[in-house]
Amino acid sequence: MSEKIVISPTSRQEGHAELVMDVDDEGIVTKGRYFSITPVRGLEKIVTGKVPETAPVIVQRICGVCPIPHTLASVEAIDDSLGIEIPKAARQLRELTLAAHTVNSHAIHHFLIATDFVPENLMATAINSVSEIRKTVQYVVDMVAGEGIHPADVRIGGMASNISETARKRLYARTKALIPKIDAHVDLMIGLIADKDLPDGLGVVNVPTLATHPLYGDRTKFDLDRFTEIMPETWYDDPEVGKRACSTIPLYDGRNVEVGPRARAAVFGSYNEKGVVAQHVARAMEMKTNVSKIVDLLAELDTSAPVMADYDVTGTNKLGIGAIEGPRGMDVHMAQIADGKTQFYSCLVPTTWNIPTMGPATEGFHHEFGPHVIRAYDPCLSCATHVIVVDDDNKSVIKNEMVRI
Amino acid sequence: MVLGTYKEVVTARSTDKEIQKIAQDGGIVSALFCYALEEKLIDGAVVAGPGKDFWKPEPMVAQTADEILAAAGTKYTFSPNVLMLKKAVRQYGLEKVGTVAIPCQTMGIRKMQSYPFGVRFLADKIALVTGIFCMENFPFASLQTFISEKMGVSPELVEKMDIGKGKFWVHTADDVLSIPLKETHGYEQSGCKVCLDYVAELADVSTGSVGSPDGWSTVFTRTDAGETVFKAAVEAGVIETKPVDTGKFGLEILTKLATQKKEKAMKEIDRRKSMGLPVPYKASSEKEDPLANV
Repeated sequence: MSEKIVISPTSRQEGHAELVMDVDDEGIVTKGRYFSITPVRGLEKIVTGKVPETAPVIVQRICGVCPIPHTLASVEAIDDSLGIEIPKAARQLRELTLAAHTVNSHAIHHFLIATDFVPENLMATAINSVSEIRKTVQYVVDMVAGEGIHPADVRIGGMASNISETARKRLYARTKALIPKIDAHVDLMIGLIADKDLPDGLGVVNVPTLATHPLYGDRTKFDLDRFTEIMPETWYDDPEVGKRACSTIPLYDGRNVEVGPRARAAVFGSYNEKGVVAQHVARAMEMKTNVSKIVDLLAELDTSAPVMADYDVTGTNKLGIGAIEGPRGMDVHMAQIADGKTQFYSCLVPTTWNIPTMGPATEGFHHEFGPHVIRAYDPCLSCATHVIVVDDDNKSVIKNEMVRI
Repeated sequence: MVLGTYKEVVTARSTDKEIQKIAQDGGIVSALFCYALEEKLIDGAVVAGPGKDFWKPEPMVAQTADEILAAAGTKYTFSPNVLMLKKAVRQYGLEKVGTVAIPCQTMGIRKMQSYPFGVRFLADKIALVTGIFCMENFPFASLQTFISEKMGVSPELVEKMDIGKGKFWVHTADDVLSIPLKETHGYEQSGCKVCLDYVAELADVSTGSVGSPDGWSTVFTRTDAGETVFKAAVEAGVIETKPVDTGKFGLEILTKLATQKKEKAMKEIDRRKSMGLPVPYKASSEKEDPLANV
């Protein structure tokens, strides 16, 4: 006899999603379906028809968790559409911004999974360590990109300004001092995750991995011809789920894929491990590689170099692609600029790629492990707009189906 | 209290001959910033530096004494220094910022520190606000009118501008020209007409020429931070002080001018309010002390 377990919304993630699992008599998941219940927000439509400079400013508001990747993917897409080659120092500053943000984002994820893995006597240590790391790397984003959360200085054509030599030295000293702390933090987290003794093979699912670059992102590695998109009604075998799911299903070579730290490690680092623990380990290791990259970039940066290219905003309607490896995976923005206006805009955000993969990843294990599998992807369903329907007569909320917390 | 809250008021000047030569009056702002930079009390200051046009200042982040001195002297048109503060703590990476501000900018900075919208992590990095006395400020086009039209001098020839003794003065290499202040009326910024602050009441230290002899400045220390750095600068010998003249050409004239500015502005505030116009101050009927800067 099969039973249905529903977790709605799934917790300790960004945005709102539902996990529906069919389980057998033993409680083992036979069919997992994970889908977004975060309503459509229409940001791509908001920026269409406006001057291109609007797009990075608006689309970075897709989310307060991944604002940096969205900003970068947006300017990269528009740079590509307008045929802009950005100066070397601008590219370095953009890479710095993303690397610092990635460390920050992974640290936040460790906070989110702390109650799964960290014993009470180490909780304060782990959380303090997360806070200290975040403080330092957010300081980098503040300096380099102008604002830690929604950066104002990442611009089409480069960056608004270079940093001063004082700032470079200060950031260099602080991030260098952060390396041993990150090493200790990563060792702590990886150790605690191993101590948990999760069942072997948990979360292993046989799907291809997709990544464009070990750290930053490379639009030439994303082939639009291999990409297709289908409606959730076609993807999910449960018509009720198909109807309620709020995101389309992106496919690469006709298959659903996995993106994120483990995918990057698999594509570029020949890392063969799979599943929940492998995802956590790959993510933690990325904190180390990113902080080293920050230090290297700061060492190389020429603070007197120009950071803004000359460009013409008119455009030729070329389809520009910006591919950025966000903390949670490849973030692709596409933009077409003509007559000085955005004609078309589309975002393929990281978790959208993972959504069709995450449900099946829960299969074959007890449903109690379902949330572990989901959290290992660090899903970010994009900040939710909470749609409510209000009765005009008595002002009460009469329909609140989307989000139930 | 038309002179604002203060701990002490003195007459002072920089002891550095170099600063005395280029400064407007006593060179207090330059001396304080140079001293604070040297002692690492600040790691940079946002000052009104030279701009592309003659006498049109542009905000600049100064991190050395030379850069501070390049910005010495009063400019009678606006330098949007407040705008630069965020950049100073972001791209410039400063953590203890000094800035020089006229009273309205001082109010802006204090408000920004209280309600830091869009300026995260900036409030606590402002280490020293030196305010300067200000009766009114002129748009750049007004200055051009005074100099080119009313005095018939080419702006490039101007070496110093000054206001004093009821006149607007312009010094060139071989001439000193002036027009009566009456002729500048109507050319000031509209906001100056409702401004209730003559002596930068919210600064850490405020300074200006009025109340002290030529070549000296009147200095108010207003906050703990201001008092500490000023006293240290005096102790270090970079600033010399003498007691302020409390008589007719000292505090009396300062009090008189501050009162006049407030009374005139209060009248205009009440007039605008009665017409239903938005004014960021209370009407005189709405506050206990009609001359309070609120």
